[in-house]
Amino acid sequence: MIATVVQLILRRLLAAIPILLVVSALLFGVLRALPVDPAAMSLPPNATIAEIEAKRREMGLDRPLPEQYVIWLRGALHGDFGQSIQLRRDAGSLVAATLPATIQLAVAAMVLAGLLGFGGGLLLFRVRGTVLEPVGDLFSIVLLSIPEFLWGLILLFVFGVVLRVLPFTGQVAPGLPVPHITGFLLLDSLLIGRLDVFASACRHLILPAVALGLAFSPTIMRVLRSSLFDVYHEDYITQARLRGLSERKILLGHALKNAALPTITLAGVQFGILFSGTLLVEVIYSYPGMGNLMVDAVRNADLPLIQTIGLTYCVVVLLINTTVDTLYVILNPKLRVR
Amino acid sequence: MRGPLGRALHSPRVLIALGMIACIGGCALFAGIIAPHDPGEQNLLSILSPPAWSAGGDSGFPLGTDSLGRDVLSRLIYGARTAMLVALFASLGAMIIGSVLAHIAGYFGGALDWIIGRLVDVWMSFPPVILSLILMVGLGVGLSKVILAIVLVDWTRFCRVLRSEVMIVTRNDYVAAARLLGFTHWQTIVREVLPATLPLLITLVSLEMAIAVVVEAILSFVGLGVGADQPAWGQMIADARQYVYQSPSNLLFPIVAIFLTVTAFNLLGDGLRRTLDVRLTEIGR
Repeated sequence: MIATVVQLILRRLLAAIPILLVVSALLFGVLRALPVDPAAMSLPPNATIAEIEAKRREMGLDRPLPEQYVIWLRGALHGDFGQSIQLRRDAGSLVAATLPATIQLAVAAMVLAGLLGFGGGLLLFRVRGTVLEPVGDLFSIVLLSIPEFLWGLILLFVFGVVLRVLPFTGQVAPGLPVPHITGFLLLDSLLIGRLDVFASACRHLILPAVALGLAFSPTIMRVLRSSLFDVYHEDYITQARLRGLSERKILLGHALKNAALPTITLAGVQFGILFSGTLLVEVIYSYPGMGNLMVDAVRNADLPLIQTIGLTYCVVVLLINTTVDTLYVILNPKLRVR
Repeated sequence: MRGPLGRALHSPRVLIALGMIACIGGCALFAGIIAPHDPGEQNLLSILSPPAWSAGGDSGFPLGTDSLGRDVLSRLIYGARTAMLVALFASLGAMIIGSVLAHIAGYFGGALDWIIGRLVDVWMSFPPVILSLILMVGLGVGLSKVILAIVLVDWTRFCRVLRSEVMIVTRNDYVAAARLLGFTHWQTIVREVLPATLPLLITLVSLEMAIAVVVEAILSFVGLGVGADQPAWGQMIADARQYVYQSPSNLLFPIVAIFLTVTAFNLLGDGLRRTLDVRLTEIGR
């Protein structure tokens, strides 16, 4: 069993390598095709043409494009992603400093999306055939059509501006210390024993995480409901009913277990999409993660940084999808035999 | 085709959605007549004034003014023009590229199908938001650039969903019969395959319009959308976000505008999907 799973993971990772190579080459090509000169940008505005030429040579920009790509790829494999032009710091370490905040947000949002999705899906299924069914139907369509960008703004407006119950800027109240141990603020604040920082970080996480979670829960809701419908056509449900089990026991004890598998797979795929959705939510709530770094880099045409962040998003999404595939095999006994 | 489309026009969802879209489209089309002010006109003496009905409001600015004293109502109306233009042209562009490739891949199969399939795979391994931001860096700001970026990101949505539909349609006997009658490949695709995939195509276009409106708002919000001289809902949100305590209503109006537009297009898509009997298992977001 373990050997099969390890083999499977290895095979998936191997399959991801060519995709990553093509993606990184595309990213490199697109960004190099831009009418922006990184050499001129990294020098002060009064630099002479000769100085810019010298800088171009130093940065390897005078060589043919494929050669530049190979140089960049070699550096990237050694963890050297080049210097951010705007911030004059190593692009790799800038990403490493902001990635944990983004992961923290994505995981919190995914947990919420899962809870809301499963809860809502069970509820939608329970009201089947009653007068509430069309209401629930319409409700889930409206939910489905609101993207995280709008949720972020709506929640900010209602809870931050009108009711003023929750903070909506940054990841912790100003004035409180921000410890850097693992980069995950919730964990770090506990490690230094500051419960006030932890509480503030939790409060700051609520609105962004709920906005993102709400946007991704309706898909989970609808898939759970339709797989429950499928499961209820199976013989073992009729049999359970004949044995005199209560509806509640049939739903939670028998049907849910079998309907959960396709739902979890879908939730995994959703997690990949949700991860890139953090970008917008971060910008709306000025949350100091990778998304805000990306938008700053894009505004300043900071090519090395854009390239590094872009690649990081692709790698994380690929990793999530690989993990989901593997989990699917582990969870589904039917696939294990092969 | 008359049958199913006629049926669609009797669905309440489609009718309500079309009514909403007609209102927004009317604002977009006749912005110059409806809007009380020039959307770029600055009144620095009355900045961030509240809506006319609240205390301190100015009846000259029905929904108040923004941080530069520009009339919010006029900017909302002109913003509808930006949103509708993007929705229309971006979704049509993505539809054309995506469906041409889908019909080629699904109809011919084989190596062409493989190449187009891999292209879609690689394209989709970029998260859409990231890809559109990167494209905007290269293209620069402007209405046509926003449209182009959305087309370049979203053609895969059409391609992936339509390809499998084309494959199913191509297996029908009447397609083989058309070939036996001496139709060229081109004639077969246009006269026999396309009419069968059209309901799905129309549904996808209306859903894509909703996506395009949101993406345009996002890009304008980030400052990489249409130019600063062109009013857009996303820009209004970015401006209002900075002065949210002084003038919360400025944040509310563009959100409501985007919400109504997106809901209208999604409702239309949902109504069409039901009445045209389209199998749409997974579209992705």
